[in-house]
Amino acid sequence: MNRVATVLLCCVMTMAVVGFFVGIGDGVPKPDGISPSNLNSLPPSDIFPSNPRLLPALSYSEMASSAMGPTKAWQATRQSLPQTEYDLYTKIEPSEAQKVASSRLRASRRAYNGAPPIIPHPVENTNDAACYACHSGGVKLEGLKASVMSHAYLANCVQCHAPMAPAPFQSIDATVETTFVGLPAPKEGQRAFPGAPPTIPHSRWMRENCNACHGGPHGWAGMESTHPWRTNCVQCHAPSATLDQMPESEVVPMLPPLDVVTAKVGAGTPQ
Amino acid sequence: MDTKRRTFLKSTAMAAAASMVASSTSLPVLQADQGVADLPVIDGLSWNKAPCRFCGTGCHVQVGVENGRVVAIAGDKAADVNKGLLCVKGYHVGGILYGKDRLTKPLLRKGDKLVEIEWDEAIEIIAKRIFDSPKTFAFYGSGQWTIPEGFAAQKFMKGGLGNNHIDPNARLCMSSAVTGFLATYGVDEPAGCYQDLDECDVLITWGNNPAEMHPVLFSRVTDRRSRGETVRIIDIGTRRTRTTDAATDYLEMNPHGDVAVSLGIMHLLIANDNYDKSFVEKHCNFRGAEADTPTLQGEAISEEEFRKRIAKYTPEHVEELSGVPAEKIRMLGELFGNHDIRITSLWCMGMNQHTMGTAINSLVHGVHLLSGHFGRPGDAPTSLTGQPSACGTVREVGTLAHALPGGRVVTKPEHRQHCEEFWNLRAGSINEVPGYHTVQMFEHFTKPTAQGGDITTMLVQVTNPGQTLPNLHALFNSKKGLEDKFLIVSEVYPTATTQLADLILPAALWVEKNGMFGNSERRTQQWFKMVDPPGEARDDCWMTIAIAHKLFEMGHEGMKDKNGEFIFAIKDSDGKEMPIWQFEHYYDTNVDKHLFEEYRLFSTMKHKNLAPYDEYVKARGLRWPVVEQDDGSWRETRYRFSEFDDPFVTKGQEFEFYHSSSNDGRAQIWFHEYAPPPEMPDKDYPMWLCTGRVLEHWHTGTLTRRLSPLNRAMPTAYVEMNSEDAKAANIRQGEKVVIESRRGTCELPVWIDGRGRPPRGTVFVPFFDETKLINNCTLETHDPFSKQPDYKKCAVRVVKKAQLKVPS
Repeated sequence: MNRVATVLLCCVMTMAVVGFFVGIGDGVPKPDGISPSNLNSLPPSDIFPSNPRLLPALSYSEMASSAMGPTKAWQATRQSLPQTEYDLYTKIEPSEAQKVASSRLRASRRAYNGAPPIIPHPVENTNDAACYACHSGGVKLEGLKASVMSHAYLANCVQCHAPMAPAPFQSIDATVETTFVGLPAPKEGQRAFPGAPPTIPHSRWMRENCNACHGGPHGWAGMESTHPWRTNCVQCHAPSATLDQMPESEVVPMLPPLDVVTAKVGAGTPQ
Repeated sequence: MDTKRRTFLKSTAMAAAASMVASSTSLPVLQADQGVADLPVIDGLSWNKAPCRFCGTGCHVQVGVENGRVVAIAGDKAADVNKGLLCVKGYHVGGILYGKDRLTKPLLRKGDKLVEIEWDEAIEIIAKRIFDSPKTFAFYGSGQWTIPEGFAAQKFMKGGLGNNHIDPNARLCMSSAVTGFLATYGVDEPAGCYQDLDECDVLITWGNNPAEMHPVLFSRVTDRRSRGETVRIIDIGTRRTRTTDAATDYLEMNPHGDVAVSLGIMHLLIANDNYDKSFVEKHCNFRGAEADTPTLQGEAISEEEFRKRIAKYTPEHVEELSGVPAEKIRMLGELFGNHDIRITSLWCMGMNQHTMGTAINSLVHGVHLLSGHFGRPGDAPTSLTGQPSACGTVREVGTLAHALPGGRVVTKPEHRQHCEEFWNLRAGSINEVPGYHTVQMFEHFTKPTAQGGDITTMLVQVTNPGQTLPNLHALFNSKKGLEDKFLIVSEVYPTATTQLADLILPAALWVEKNGMFGNSERRTQQWFKMVDPPGEARDDCWMTIAIAHKLFEMGHEGMKDKNGEFIFAIKDSDGKEMPIWQFEHYYDTNVDKHLFEEYRLFSTMKHKNLAPYDEYVKARGLRWPVVEQDDGSWRETRYRFSEFDDPFVTKGQEFEFYHSSSNDGRAQIWFHEYAPPPEMPDKDYPMWLCTGRVLEHWHTGTLTRRLSPLNRAMPTAYVEMNSEDAKAANIRQGEKVVIESRRGTCELPVWIDGRGRPPRGTVFVPFFDETKLINNCTLETHDPFSKQPDYKKCAVRVVKKAQLKVPS
């Protein structure tokens, strides 16, 4: 009796398991070539050098032998969406070249140090929520990085950040001839002695969130903190009253020196 | 900095960073040595305050200067206007000095070529033309003139030449606001200030898009929402804009609908009996236009008469006229009827560039007065300006064809007498007939002399009429080929205006000279020269003084005061006259300070009291009236006419309109009948054309189109179309079309549902692009009182180009 029940139970379970997997399949055979697609191995199209993302159209006769499906960029973006955990303790050692490339890219988006960066992508929707969706916490996708806002939420993002040209006008040459040379970004703060924490060489106004550049998973390569687990930056790094537009003072006000009466040299002991 | 430090800097290859930190000057420090020729030599970066060069908001920036060049800009945290923030134009304002095509040498047209000449020759040519025919000379100026520049031009023309043909571009921008204030309060300029934006519960934007045009002020309101406050924004407009995106309610109106809407609100306040009876009884009168010849003063009407006239503007009738649903008019009526909330109205060009500009300005003031939403922080009818010193230089200095400094007019003998006394001129020096306003001035300049065009020489400073005048073919381009007309243009870059100029003068710009501006909230601001102008570019104020002195040398009697001395004479401590007309000596003294101290005398008659120059050096601007206190300090005024803040209000009155046109301390609540716009769409020209601005560019783009980040963001003007209209006409995104009106054409790419979204039957074109002049199409018809043309509505058609150009 027991034995029959066990066999029966096994059958039921096997059927259930098989049924489950049959049930979740859509029954449609997978088309060939969807993955890995040879579209991915296509070199950037040189038919449209102005826009490598454009692919040549196919004729009907070519279609049967051609791979169809998502392009590399599309797949890459999709695949990496669930972001990896950021490891605070990964040792950060950017190379000199990485640092230079990173700061060059950073500088290319600012007219001078302290200017609000331009928006390096087209803006169709200027609703603040649209900006905030990516830039509140930052997003990193292959070849694409949305940086974290360095300042508190302010309404009307495009008030300060100039976007790219609107979609219909992007082919227009907007070159401007100017001799304006902007202030370069400071390279590093001052150290009182080797090993001392450097001072903050820039204004903290609109840069209250140090992690936007110096830490977290979305900092700028070469500017990332070597110790992102420390959270109170100004505990060790002194800001500049000058750059932070603190109330003016030419000299640091001090109390008058102590009025010390010094005994005359050679004067004898009290009589 | 000592040598040791220098070595340190070099050795560490961090010069920029370290010198910023180590520099002995701090950001807010003001230049200690006032107005001397050169800034103190500072190794590294120095910072100094200046108001932004662009709009009328009047933000303060900190300008970072290194090796004699502007290299950085920061929002000024000490400035009350912007509290450390700027907009995208302000952040890049430093670059305006460095476009590659700056004008650096006077250029004279010989045949169809421009040849370089020396300044002496240029000044002599101008002086000679004026000397030969002083009455046919006109001076066209600007709301971008600094206060001393405007004051010098004013004194030169009205005092020196006895010629009133001086008018500014601000005629095209806010003269209806002026007439609205005069008609209502008897004196110009807003009673409230920007603090209203921090305190209002409801903000109403009347045909106004501050999200793009006054972004610092608009985000001051929307940032309150981020802080958890509730602000209701009601946008009344003819197209959806970025302001609409932030608005709680969007009320789409037909062009001229604003007149009907304001009448509808007043009708409801009366009908529902929830207007502020005690305020109206104590502080207001009613006024209407005279039946035969309407004047700015109008005639007194009784409250009964007012009720009778407004009775027909029921919500349903207003809906018919304005297109705004009756229930929305009722909503506005109830809002204004609620005295527990604070309501601020904002407007700018929508209500000013209007053939009923004076009427709609007066009516919106009337809505606030009738409902008592006036004079408490947050309760204010607030008119904004578009130029940095439209208020300071045009409205206060009075550089208009009919005006004299300090709220005076040329038609009043006692006002002329004041000016002649202040200026130490012979009695009768000032002409009593108002000069030509802008449209007339250009009509007479472009009409052949033989046909009665009696302006033959025109000097244009700090503005670009070749792009901004309406109906350009008629008012500007027709100057071409007229042999005896001579156009002199002082500019910083080549513009549409310099294309027809016979003589071009290279001008110094912004922090290349000393200056003072006056912003939209009565705030007078001051800055010092920080860098040298390029090449031979020179100050506009110096040009005026140099021309005047040349005339003085030629023996022109008007350039002498009563004692026979030069009217702009400045003497040193030994009583010796300083040769400020020679540019190398212009900065031997602070000419701005001398002119401002002279101008200050004019300011008390209309209680627009100004403080001494040195007080403005210390402050980030001060809002007039600025009154000296018992302890010798100077106090600014945030709220005019309100007893709690305005020192000129009689104690116990609560409110007092002490320049009332009815001489009884009361403001006027006006009634104006609705009238349709002068040109409406018809069979041949079926679309409305509205012109305006975008966030990234300022006015004619002369400055902003030379800034990389801004030009990249908005590289071209465009025509904004409703998608249904585009579909019906088979017009595609980006396609080039031609806009045609009865007056001219303009070719533009189409942006369907672009930055703004116009309703069906309306197109919108920004005017910043000098290669696409939409003012070829606009209408020069103007308001009867303010003479301000209507750029916001005329009839056009959109024509597809036969040959479609495939976008590359």
